[in-house]
Amino acid sequence: MPECDNPLWPCAMTGAAACLAGFEGIAVVIHGSSGCYYYPTTLLHAPLYGTFILEDDVIFGSEDRLQEVIGSLSGTGKRIAVITTCVPALLGEDIRSMLDEHDVILVDSPGFAGDVETGYAKALAVLEPRVDPETHGVNIDGACLFDPFAAGNVREARRLLAMVSVPVATVFSSDRYDRVHHAAPYTIGTNGDFPSGVGENLGGMLGLACVRETFTRLSDTIDGADCDPVFSELEQQEERLVRACDKFLQRYDPPSAAIFAGASYALFAAEALHQYLDAEICCIGTRNAQGESRFRTEQASSLSRVRELIATHDPDLVIGSSFERSLSQEKAFTGIIPPLRGRVRIYPAPLAGINGTLSFMESVLNSCMDKKP
Amino acid sequence: MTSNPLPANSSRLGGCTLTGAISVTSHLRDTVTVVHGPKGCSHHNVSLLHASWLDNDHAVLPSLLSTGLSEKEVIFGGEEALRKAIASAAGGEGVRAVVVLSTCVVGTIGDDVSGVCAEDYGVPVVSIPSAGFLGGTFQDGMNNALIALAGTAGPCRKERSVNIIGEMNLEFEVEENYQEIERLLSLLHLPVNLRFVHNLGWDQIARLGAAEFNILRSPALVPVGEYLKNRFGTPYIASFPHGLSATLSFIREVAALCGFDGQEALREECLRQEEMLGQFSDLRQVQVSLDRIHSGEDELLAAEELAAALDLVMGTPGTCARLPVSAAVGTAGTRRMLHRWRRAAHA
Repeated sequence: MPECDNPLWPCAMTGAAACLAGFEGIAVVIHGSSGCYYYPTTLLHAPLYGTFILEDDVIFGSEDRLQEVIGSLSGTGKRIAVITTCVPALLGEDIRSMLDEHDVILVDSPGFAGDVETGYAKALAVLEPRVDPETHGVNIDGACLFDPFAAGNVREARRLLAMVSVPVATVFSSDRYDRVHHAAPYTIGTNGDFPSGVGENLGGMLGLACVRETFTRLSDTIDGADCDPVFSELEQQEERLVRACDKFLQRYDPPSAAIFAGASYALFAAEALHQYLDAEICCIGTRNAQGESRFRTEQASSLSRVRELIATHDPDLVIGSSFERSLSQEKAFTGIIPPLRGRVRIYPAPLAGINGTLSFMESVLNSCMDKKP
Repeated sequence: MTSNPLPANSSRLGGCTLTGAISVTSHLRDTVTVVHGPKGCSHHNVSLLHASWLDNDHAVLPSLLSTGLSEKEVIFGGEEALRKAIASAAGGEGVRAVVVLSTCVVGTIGDDVSGVCAEDYGVPVVSIPSAGFLGGTFQDGMNNALIALAGTAGPCRKERSVNIIGEMNLEFEVEENYQEIERLLSLLHLPVNLRFVHNLGWDQIARLGAAEFNILRSPALVPVGEYLKNRFGTPYIASFPHGLSATLSFIREVAALCGFDGQEALREECLRQEEMLGQFSDLRQVQVSLDRIHSGEDELLAAEELAAALDLVMGTPGTCARLPVSAAVGTAGTRRMLHRWRRAAHA
């Protein structure tokens, strides 16, 4: 792996913690140092436990310490999940056999194994999610505690499914732990960067066109699903959105936009800006591996590359995190990925679903107008 | 989440050495900090620095370069990756020096970090031991970084000035605390020589030995104070002052170190404190308790003294307003805490 200045994306250990901590009934233990514990704790705003190992644990073995922490958590009624960080992974201890006496989920996801998506996928696989043919409804996936829009996305997906009278089955990863093994045969996604791979994928929820396609498929697949209310709302809200964007374009030129996010959110933003504002998408820098796109896309996960792209393209509008905002003080900005520091965020706004597109475009229009002379 | 989700073992809660070291080195303006380890370790700290700097209206982004160790380097060694990263950092425009910090992973796989740093890169390369929990605590990381950087400075002629040593660069009110110390020093007409290390240029470190004495941010920095005393013959004051009488004692101590009388400065500060207490006389006889759970010993002593000066009545916790106790620096910090006390008392 090449050197990287100011890496902008978290490690696999953080991804594993984000996945497991999303499930009620799992007590997540970070087996590592206090430094490795501190970051996911502050980022995920979820209860995590740590072994906080020290030099002695490295020299003489970490079993006693791990047993001490596991012992203190037994009797809480929660299934314990242990995530190994870099140093325990390097020590080569047989952690599985150490924990033989306990019914513990073990996820080997050290930071050097990859990025946040790798760890998330690894942890979800260890949970062995299963479809239960008896379970009715549709699963929602793509919810990751790392994503500041996850709670809003799930809420929006639930709202739309309620409108078509389809029950929500399992939400990956924001549900009771026992529901992991009783997923429905069908799934809709809220963020393609964190797929569950469980059940038949009926489609995503990012962008109005995508919502329309997904609910069309859902209508064809699920008995008794009446999707007309969603189609009707789509029509009404898209009309409002088009009107607002037309009004903007009456007065202003379309913005040129530089977009930085995980591939899924980045492409959603690009499509929405292009479709409704005729925006020029001058570059897309994805934090993770870039997906297929009709726009110019490259992976950009270091601060220097992001800085170069912004300097080269000199966009009117920057979409990204507060890292990007710090690099483009004079430009219009809309935040869609963490970290989103320096702004108060209380309401669980979505990016997915109908309200997600409206919320995103509203933010874009307001920030563009605020920056116009 | 629960406030204490861990089995009791406070020695494990000392924080990450790497973060402590980065909190110092990231405040060197024209240097690059190379973090030798997986990308995740650097990202954690970039994110933390970014958050705390935004809180302090400091728009500059950190300058950390990760060697990005993956499974391959973990197995075959990361020295070549380090060598490349240092060379890349050293070749950057305007880079005057490179600082290399190690992580837990490097401490475990046993790379010869000092050996790689000793090679010629055209600019000074300073290696600071900071292998996460293998290197100690957050405070150890800070102290190691300050001592290693101080080791690059040579002797110089003393001037009537003061160094501020080891400011807590990640704390929310770091600038306000500095301004209060600067104000107190100005009562004795003493200028600040260096903020070591806060927004400092590499070349400025050479002036470290010029100060007449050093003021440490907290007593945890005494090993740094001792190192500077031995290296430059510079005496030190062990902490910023917390509370009313400690602030006056601080002025006395500074005056004594400079051979000043200091009585005029003391009178001026006493008057300021009296005026401040008068502005909060509405708190008199209000029944309160102090938040003892989240307070250190020095802060608590200062808060008790302040409560007595304001004639507050100590009540039973849970039955009266609980006042927040913070490490208020000087008279200005005490005033800010009093505003929070007023809000809590009248809530």
